[in-house]
Amino acid sequence: MNNLNSNLNTNLFKKLKRFLLSKSKYNFLNFICFVISISLTFNFLTWIFKSNWKVVTSNLNLYAFGSFPINEQWRPLFWFFILLSITLITIYGPKWNWLRKNLLFGWIGTVPLGIYLLNGGFGLDTVMTRNWGGLTLTILITSCSILFSLPIGILLALCRRSSIFLIQKLSSFYIDVMRAVPLIAVLFFGQLLIPLFLPVGIEIDRVWRAIIAFTLFVSAYIAEDIRGGLQSIPKNQIEAAKSLGLNKFQINIFILIPQALRVALPAITNQLIGLFQNTSLMSILGLMELLGVSRSILANPEFIGQYIEVYIWLASVYWLFCTTMALVSKKLEQKMTINKGF
Amino acid sequence: MKPILIAKNLTKSYAKGIFALNNVSFELDQGKVLVVMGPSGSGKSTLIRTINGLETFDKGELNILGIKIGSDNDERKIQKIRRRVGMVFQQFNLFPHLTILENITLAPIQVQKRQQKEAEEYGMYLLSQMGIESHSKKYPSQLSGGEQQRVAIARSLALKPELLLFDEPTSALDPERINEVLDEMRRLADQGMTMIVVTHEIKFAKEVSDQVLFIDSGKIIEISSPDVFFSNASHERSRKFLNQIN
Amino acid sequence: MSKNKKIFFQIVLMFALLGFTGILINNLIINLTRTDIGFKFNWLIKPASFSLAEHSLPYSPSDSYAWALFIGWINSLKVIISSLILATCIGTLIGFLRVGKNSFFRITTAGFITIVRQTPLLIQLMCWYFVGFLSIRNNTFLNIRNILNISNKGIEFFGLYLSSEFSALLLGLSIFSSAFIAEVIRGGIQSVPLGQWEAYRSLGISEKQGFFKIIIPQALPAFIPGLTSQYLNLAKNSTLAIAVGYSDIYAINDTIINQTGRAIECFIILLFSFLILNLLITKVMGIIDKSIMRSRI
Repeated sequence: MNNLNSNLNTNLFKKLKRFLLSKSKYNFLNFICFVISISLTFNFLTWIFKSNWKVVTSNLNLYAFGSFPINEQWRPLFWFFILLSITLITIYGPKWNWLRKNLLFGWIGTVPLGIYLLNGGFGLDTVMTRNWGGLTLTILITSCSILFSLPIGILLALCRRSSIFLIQKLSSFYIDVMRAVPLIAVLFFGQLLIPLFLPVGIEIDRVWRAIIAFTLFVSAYIAEDIRGGLQSIPKNQIEAAKSLGLNKFQINIFILIPQALRVALPAITNQLIGLFQNTSLMSILGLMELLGVSRSILANPEFIGQYIEVYIWLASVYWLFCTTMALVSKKLEQKMTINKGF
Repeated sequence: MKPILIAKNLTKSYAKGIFALNNVSFELDQGKVLVVMGPSGSGKSTLIRTINGLETFDKGELNILGIKIGSDNDERKIQKIRRRVGMVFQQFNLFPHLTILENITLAPIQVQKRQQKEAEEYGMYLLSQMGIESHSKKYPSQLSGGEQQRVAIARSLALKPELLLFDEPTSALDPERINEVLDEMRRLADQGMTMIVVTHEIKFAKEVSDQVLFIDSGKIIEISSPDVFFSNASHERSRKFLNQIN
Repeated sequence: MSKNKKIFFQIVLMFALLGFTGILINNLIINLTRTDIGFKFNWLIKPASFSLAEHSLPYSPSDSYAWALFIGWINSLKVIISSLILATCIGTLIGFLRVGKNSFFRITTAGFITIVRQTPLLIQLMCWYFVGFLSIRNNTFLNIRNILNISNKGIEFFGLYLSSEFSALLLGLSIFSSAFIAEVIRGGIQSVPLGQWEAYRSLGISEKQGFFKIIIPQALPAFIPGLTSQYLNLAKNSTLAIAVGYSDIYAINDTIINQTGRAIECFIILLFSFLILNLLITKVMGIIDKSIMRSRI
């Protein structure tokens, strides 16, 4: 018995020794890092459970809808529900052909639906844009800008490859200038300058000015991504299309753009994720989107100084949305790759 | 019989003294098969691509199906020719983002403005003729090289062309896949299709062609019937070439 | 399209564009005269009459607007260059660990990259500033024998003083960009064909030597375009300085517009300052790229 015990002990000791020393210094380093990260995670978790999350929990309404009238808040909520279901269908939905083909139109349709639900009219009470806010506004700005900037981006990319001198130079100039300027400047000057270029009497409110500025900015970047996609298409695809008698317009629509979009999809997704994150810049310019609302909550004497809780909460919300966007794009990409083996 | 294709003094040069085509003249009658042979870089690809307007030329005149094009390369005339002349490429050049059937019906629907249903029916008929109708919903990358090339032939046939051009259709295929494509071409020739084929397949040329055109450095060395060309080529260079590939 | 058609089309297009810009400019002139602002640059030589917390060159409120703008440009350049260097160091390290053999580091760096990339830079900057510096308890976070002193006033290191605004911006920008640079590094390393790794292993070259002598030199050219675009992004992102109160070129433009209302002139100035900054970055990266290419031949 005694013998066995000592045998066991030496075995254990040997194992530990081997673990710590024999298999080079890397294992030891690993061990130390592991311990440190476990203790850090533990500390972080205890902090999360200990700290007071009232600044988040009691303001959930504000984070989601801003100052949207309380008895109308079902409208943005309903829109969120539609967006969530179409996302889930895209990722996990059945592979019926007619569904896949119409999904794009479903996505496009969510944007006017959202504008209608938020703005009202046609049976719903009108809500002024200054009352739009929180996550609702963030998503609205993002989705509108995506919807507008994709076709403009495609058009700019095609123009930049055009054989007509003037069109090619003009679109190149536009793209290069937009890509040289910081986004905050485009947004700020968009707010200041757009009214200056409009005839007297016509006004565009702040939310739409922001959407225009985002569209102008993002479409230049998307154009460059699509141009890269167009350049990656082998020349013999164009020759094959020509030999079938397709004209330039048909070649662009049926052969080049679909393939370019497929190649540029990861890059475009990154632009759109960037766009979603960058809507937070509007808080500097006084719009009450997610970060703007949070800043006004932090200015409330009741919650003053609770920066960490709010920022961690915000970061998780943004992270969740951006990761979902990346996931959707990856799913789309996989489906295309498996089927079509580019 | 009236020739379907008349080439007169076609000339194209890349730089001074380097000719892709040098004073090329020949005729092709309806229902005939012309095989173009020559060493690599001899201009045989350039010649066949010129007929479809994929390459321009500097001097001379082409008369295809009664449509005349000169060195000014009138886009509208070229477009007219392309609608009546089919082309099959060495690398198949199927559209990877479209299904097999969509590949075939794209041009009939968009160029000839036919009904989708009608175009699809005809496309399925063409695929069944080649014995690959079961692949119609697949994408090109899911098919073997030989199958892809047969789809490419079906795609050019969908426009009901009066002349078919083949640019080395079997060069990119695995050796065991070559015959399935050649058989298809043989069948088309038997049906009376006018064809111009750039190829190195001597057996095919001997059995199917009506004329063999031998080209080197952009110049036509000889045009003769396959019997004469393969047994008793009149030119030193043709004989040398045949020795090399045999 | 034939040549004549093309020329005709261009002329029509030019007239349409001229008409359109004409309408815009007409509107602009009407609006500017209505608000009595006009379009001139002579205000640049007037005294700025605002003070700047941070200036590398002598500055006082009685100096001109032009000088204030130049100070702002220098401030921008300062923060861009320093965070560019820091971000490259961190990003390269993380990129190496991301493709390395050690699974622990592979997982933690992947976590770091997703957290940093999928949250807005603005929130990260505010976090560094408000949480990292302004809420340091007892006003001092770390003090090592007066050599390194981190407090709510900033960082002091060997007498080199960095304000808390500058430090927050530097850290925020560097950490944010390093995640993107790490991905560039990873992509570049993975662009080297697998056969190269097998080749040096089969020759009995050690992993470390093989990685640094065989793989990295081949990956270098692939790094350059990605790094250039990340550096350009970093330069543009540095304008978020306004969120932490650092007076960079954009923040000073903002102040001037608030004082004078000269939005169009300031936009043009900002555009040109950034064109110069971008040109600087692309030129330097071009020189680096060329020297790499030359060393390979």
